[in-house]
Amino acid sequence: MMDAVTFEVIQSRLSGIVREMQDSIFRTGYSTIIRESQDASCMLLDAEGNVVGEHVILPLHVAALPEVVRAVRRAFDDIVAGDAFITNHPYIAGVTHSMDMAVITPVFHAGTLIAFCGSIAHKSDLGGVVPGTAYGSARELFQEGIQYPPIRFVAGGEPRRDIEAILRANSRTPDLVIGDIRGQVGVARLGERRLAEVIARYGIDALLETFATAGVVAEKRIREALATWPDGVHEAESFIDTDGVTPDSQVRYHVRIEKRGDRIAFDFTGSDDQRGGPVNISPSLARGCCYYALIATIDPTLANNAGVARVVETTFRPGSVLNPRSPAPCCTYLATCMAIVEAMLVALSDFVPARRMAGNGGTGGISITGRRATGENFVQYEPIGSAYGGRATSDGVSGIAVLLSNTRAASIEILESEFPTRVRRFELIRDSGGPGRYRGGLSPRRVWEVLVDDAQLTCRGGKHDVPASGADGGEPGALGSLTINAGTPSARSLSSRFSGVRMMRGDILTLEKAGGGGLGDPHTRPFEAILSDVIDGYVTLDAAINRYGAERSRLTSALEQWEGNVATR
Amino acid sequence: MSRRLRVAVDTGGTFTDFVVLDESSGAMDVFKVPSTRGSEADGIVRGLRDYLERTGARGDDVVYFSHGTTVGTNAILEETGARTGLLVTSGFRGIYEVGEQSRPYGATTYDLFFERPRALVPARLTQEVPERVLFDGSVLDSLDEAAALEAIRTLVRRGVTSIAVAFLFSFRRPDHERRVAELIAREAPGVNVSLSSDVAPQIREYYRLSTTVVNAYLNPKLESYIAALDELLTQQGCERRQRFIMRSNGGVATFAAAAERSVQTILSGPAAGVVAASRLIAGSERFPNVVTFDMGGTSTDVALIEGGRPIRRMGGKVHGRDVLVPMLDIHTVAAGGGTIARIDAAGMLQVGPESAGANPGPVCYGQGGTEPTITDANLVLGVMSEENPLAGGTLRLDRAAAERAIREKIAQPLGLSVIAAARGIVEIVSVKMQEAIKVVSSNRGYDLRDFHLLAFGGAGAMHAAQMAEELGMRGVLVPAFPGVTSALGLLLSDVRNDYVASELSPIDRTDAAHARAIFERLRAQGEATLLAAGFAREQLRYECALDLRYAGQGYDLTVALDAVPDGPDALAATRARFDVEHAQLTGHSAPDEVVEIVNYRLSAIAAVPHASIASPFPSTGTLEAARLGERQTYFDGEEPQTTILYDRTKLPPGAVIDGPAILLQSDATTVINRGRRARVVELGQLEILAA
Repeated sequence: MMDAVTFEVIQSRLSGIVREMQDSIFRTGYSTIIRESQDASCMLLDAEGNVVGEHVILPLHVAALPEVVRAVRRAFDDIVAGDAFITNHPYIAGVTHSMDMAVITPVFHAGTLIAFCGSIAHKSDLGGVVPGTAYGSARELFQEGIQYPPIRFVAGGEPRRDIEAILRANSRTPDLVIGDIRGQVGVARLGERRLAEVIARYGIDALLETFATAGVVAEKRIREALATWPDGVHEAESFIDTDGVTPDSQVRYHVRIEKRGDRIAFDFTGSDDQRGGPVNISPSLARGCCYYALIATIDPTLANNAGVARVVETTFRPGSVLNPRSPAPCCTYLATCMAIVEAMLVALSDFVPARRMAGNGGTGGISITGRRATGENFVQYEPIGSAYGGRATSDGVSGIAVLLSNTRAASIEILESEFPTRVRRFELIRDSGGPGRYRGGLSPRRVWEVLVDDAQLTCRGGKHDVPASGADGGEPGALGSLTINAGTPSARSLSSRFSGVRMMRGDILTLEKAGGGGLGDPHTRPFEAILSDVIDGYVTLDAAINRYGAERSRLTSALEQWEGNVATR
Repeated sequence: MSRRLRVAVDTGGTFTDFVVLDESSGAMDVFKVPSTRGSEADGIVRGLRDYLERTGARGDDVVYFSHGTTVGTNAILEETGARTGLLVTSGFRGIYEVGEQSRPYGATTYDLFFERPRALVPARLTQEVPERVLFDGSVLDSLDEAAALEAIRTLVRRGVTSIAVAFLFSFRRPDHERRVAELIAREAPGVNVSLSSDVAPQIREYYRLSTTVVNAYLNPKLESYIAALDELLTQQGCERRQRFIMRSNGGVATFAAAAERSVQTILSGPAAGVVAASRLIAGSERFPNVVTFDMGGTSTDVALIEGGRPIRRMGGKVHGRDVLVPMLDIHTVAAGGGTIARIDAAGMLQVGPESAGANPGPVCYGQGGTEPTITDANLVLGVMSEENPLAGGTLRLDRAAAERAIREKIAQPLGLSVIAAARGIVEIVSVKMQEAIKVVSSNRGYDLRDFHLLAFGGAGAMHAAQMAEELGMRGVLVPAFPGVTSALGLLLSDVRNDYVASELSPIDRTDAAHARAIFERLRAQGEATLLAAGFAREQLRYECALDLRYAGQGYDLTVALDAVPDGPDALAATRARFDVEHAQLTGHSAPDEVVEIVNYRLSAIAAVPHASIASPFPSTGTLEAARLGERQTYFDGEEPQTTILYDRTKLPPGAVIDGPAILLQSDATTVINRGRRARVVELGQLEILAA
C-alpha cells in the first residue's frame, strides 16, 4: 500500500475538489430546484466508474453515477477528451428517476482515460404527463418524461446543437433545462482542471494508487467489522401504504440477509412482484440503499466508495418491485428506498443489536394548489419531517427529516405572506412516540386553513395504515393521518398518497405525521425518564401509567415535588 | 506625568492578550497573561494592575478600554447559560422543537444515532400564550393578558431568570411582545427579558426565535460579567465612558449595549482579528485583498477581505445554534497547534479534529499530554525550539518527549522516520487548512491569485508561506505582532449598531417614500441610542442596505445602498444592482423576474477616534544585529538544513531576508521557507514572496 501521508493528502484534495464542484453547482444552478433544494450531487469516479471522491448530499445519487459511467462505456468506444455525456434513464443507466439528469465527462492523462467527473441533478421539467415530470400515478415509464439513454452532449469540446434542440423541444422549461445541464458540464470541467493540478503536483501514479487504495481501505474496514458479527441469516419486511394507482394496495418489501465470515449477501427475492404504479426501483438503486444501510450500521464516517460496493452481494428477482421489467414506472423511488432501508436496518441490527433502531415515521409532504383572488395560480409545497424510532442507547429524535430524506421546513411567516392559507398549529404530537425503554421520537402536527374558494390538495406521504414498528418489545409509533375538518360532522379522512382532492374556503386541514417506534419494553424505562417526558408534555399522565406502567401515586407525587422544588429555587 | 492609555484586552482559551497604546507617544506595549476561566474579569484586572505597577502608570491614565470576550461563546459551548423560559404563540411550540427539520450533510446523513444540540429551553419551560398577528400586521386574536400572566407566573415558579418571547409576525407588530415584557417587568422585575421583535425583528419565525432564545440564555451571564468588569475597572480609576465590547459584526458596543444583546458577542474574539486585518493591512492601498488566517491552539479562523472590506453575512449557525444577527463571515476549521495526529482503525494517518487544547496541551508542554500534536511536530522539525520558550518564558518545551510520542504513535506504526512522520503530520494539517481557505475564496468564485494570505495567531506564520505557495496566492503578510493581532483590532473598531425591519413587497411596487420612512425610523432609533451613549451627532454615520430576492427564492442577498433612497429611481437602481450582484455570486441573473424586498437594514456607526499605529520596531539597525544564530531544521525536506534565526523586533524597515530562516518574537514564530524572500514593509509588517 502507498505511503500514508501522500494517501491522506490526496484524499483531502479529492474531497476538496468535490466540495468545490458542489459549491459551484449550487452557485451556478440555473433552476430554483438546484439552488433551493440542493437536489444535486457531484462526484469523481475512476475509469471503471468506481466512486473515488464524494461529499454526501443525497446518498442515493452515489449509487447511480457508477452505473452511468458503465452505461456510457458500454455505449461508446470512441470517448475522447472534451466529450460530455448525459442520461436520465433508470433502466439503461441506473439513474434514480428520469427527473434526474446525469452528466459525466472523461478525464485523460497522456492519452489514457483515467477518470470521470460527474454530477446528477434534478431537472425542472423533462416532458411527460404532468408539469415537473414526476407523475405519482404513472402506469409506465413513458408517462414519466422523455427517456434519454447515454448521449454525447458535447463532442470533443463542441456542444451538439442538435441534441440541445431535442432536449429543448421536449421540456416545458427549455431554458432552465439547458442552463442546468450546461452548468453541470461546467462543474465537471472544473473537476477535470483540479484533477490535472493534483497530477501535476503529486504525479499520476500517486493519484491512481489513491483511487485504488481508498476502496481497499473501506473494504478492509467493512470486512473487519463484518468478521466480528455472528454468522447467520436474518430477515425483515416493510410496507408502503399504496402503489399510487390502486387503492388499498399495500406494497411489501422483504430482505433476507446472510452473513458468513467477512461476506454479506442481501436477497430481496421475497419482495412483491412489480407494481402498476411508480413504486418500482432499479437494482442499482436498491444496491445504493444497501450501501446506506451497511454504512449506517457499521460506521457513518465510512466513505461510500467502491470498497462498499465490492462487499455488498445482492439478489433481485426479475419481475419484482426491485428488479422491474421495463417499462414499469419508477418515479416515486424515495418511498420505496426508505422502506427497504428500514427493513435492512432491522435485519442488520439482528446481527449488531448495539445499532438497533425502531421504525421511523417516514417522509412526505403536501401541496396545495389553486387560484388566488387575483386570478394567478399558486403551488404551495411543504415537505414535513417525522421522527426517528427509539435507538439502542437513546430516544428517537422528534420532528426531523429521516434517513434518506433531508429537506428543510418551510417558514410559516413566508408561507402566509405568499399563499392564501393560514397555519393554525405546528407542534409535536403528545404520545405519538411509540412507548419503549427508549421512546420513539414525536412527530409533528401541522394544521392549515384554506383562504381561497377552491383549492386542490395532493399528498405524498405514508404510514397512515402501517405504523413505524417497535423493536425488542417496544410499541409501534402512532399512525399518521390527514383529515379535512377534523372533529366536525363533515370530517373526512384521507389516504397517504393521492392527488387532486378539492378543498373550500374555511376548510381546516390537519396533517399528523407518524411517530417513531419504541425500542425495548416500556415497563423497563427508567422512572426518571418517564417523569421527565410527562413534565415536558411529551407523554400524558395516562400513557405514563397505562403504557409505561408507572405507578400513579409515585408519579403524581414526583410531579408535585418537581413543581414544589422548582418553586423554592 | 499623566499619560493617555488605550487598553485592548482579548481573552482567549489559554492566554489573555493585552495591547496598550500610549496616545501621546504612539508607543505600544503587548503582553500576555494566563486566562482565568470562570472569573475572566479578575484575570483582566490583575493583568492591567500588574502593567500599571510595572510601568508606573496610573489607573486614570486609561482613557479607553476595548475588550474581546469569550464569555458568551463558552456559555454556549458548555451550556452554562441561564435557566431560560420561552413564550410562544398558542399552538406553535413546534417552531423551536422542529427547527430547520433537516440534518447536516456529510457523515451525519448516515448517522442513525444523530442527536440535535440540546434545546437551550426545554419544553417544560416553554409556555403558550393566546394571541395571533397576521402577515400584514393585523391582529387575528388579541393578546390574552390573563393567560399571559399565568404563563409568566408558571415560568417564574419554575425558576427561570431569563425569558425569551417570540410570537408569530411580531416583527410586523411588536405590540403583543411588548405588552408581555411589561407584564414580566411587573410580575417578576428581576427576570431578564428578550423580545424577538427587538433582538431579530425579521421574517422567518424559527431563526428569529432561536436568536432570541440564545440572547435570553446568555444575557444574565454577560450582564453580570460586564457589570463585574465595569466595577473593577472603575475601582482602578479608569475612564468610565469609553468602555467597549467587540461584537460579531466587527464593531464595538458600549458595555451597556453589549449586555442587552449578548447574542451579538459570540464571535467577539475572531471578529477583532478580521477588523485588525481590514484596518491595518487591507485598509492600505497596497494590500486591499487578503484572506485572514488566524491559527491558534485548537482552531483556525479564515475570512476573506476584498477591497479592504470584510464580508458580512446576516446570520448563520454558530456553535450549532442558528442566529440571525449580522456577523463577519468567518469560517472555522478544527486545526490548531494542539490538533492531534493518530493512526485510525484502518491504519491510516489522521490529523484532527480532536485537539489536546490548552489542557493537557501538546506532549512537549509537559502538562500530561500524551498524543502527538501539530506543535510537537513543529518542535521536532526545528520550527520551534526548546531554547525559545512560549508565553514570555513561562512555558518550556520538551523536544525529547515530543519526538518520543511521534516515534511511538506515528512513525513506528507507519514504518517512517520521526522526521518523515512529523513532516507528514504538518503536511496533512496544511492541506486541511488550505481547503478551508478555498471554502471562503475559490469556492465562492474569488481568484486566489489576487489575494495575500494574512497570517496571525500564535501559529499562523509558521505555516502560511508554504500554504500560500500551494494555493497560488500572491504572497504572505505577517503583521508586526501576529500573536496579539486580535487585541490590536479592538483599538481600531468603530461602534456599530445594526437595525433591521422586515416587510415583504415587490420592489417595483414599493413606494419609495414608504421605504424612506422605514429607513428614517431605523435611523432615528440608531441615532437616539448613540446619542444616549454619549457620542456627538457629527461622529455618526449610517449605512443602508436591502435584502432582496427573486420572488419565491428561499434566500436573499444583501445589497448596499449609497444613501437612504430619496426617489423612485433609487429603488430601480438598487434592483439593477441586485441583478449584477446575483450574477457575480451565482453566475446568473433574471432581470425579467419579480424582485422582492425582504428586509430593510441600517447600521448606525459612531466613529471612535482610531489609534494611530506606528511601526513598533526600530527605524534603524542592521540585519546582522538582528541575527540570533542558526539551527538545523527539517521543514523544507528530509535532510537537515541550516536555518538562520532573527529577532523579528530588531529588523529594520526594508530589511530583506532569504529563506530558509526563522523570525522569532515573544508572541509568534514566522517561517520563511527555502526559495522564499521576506521583506519588512510598512508598519513593521512582513511580506513573503517567491525569491
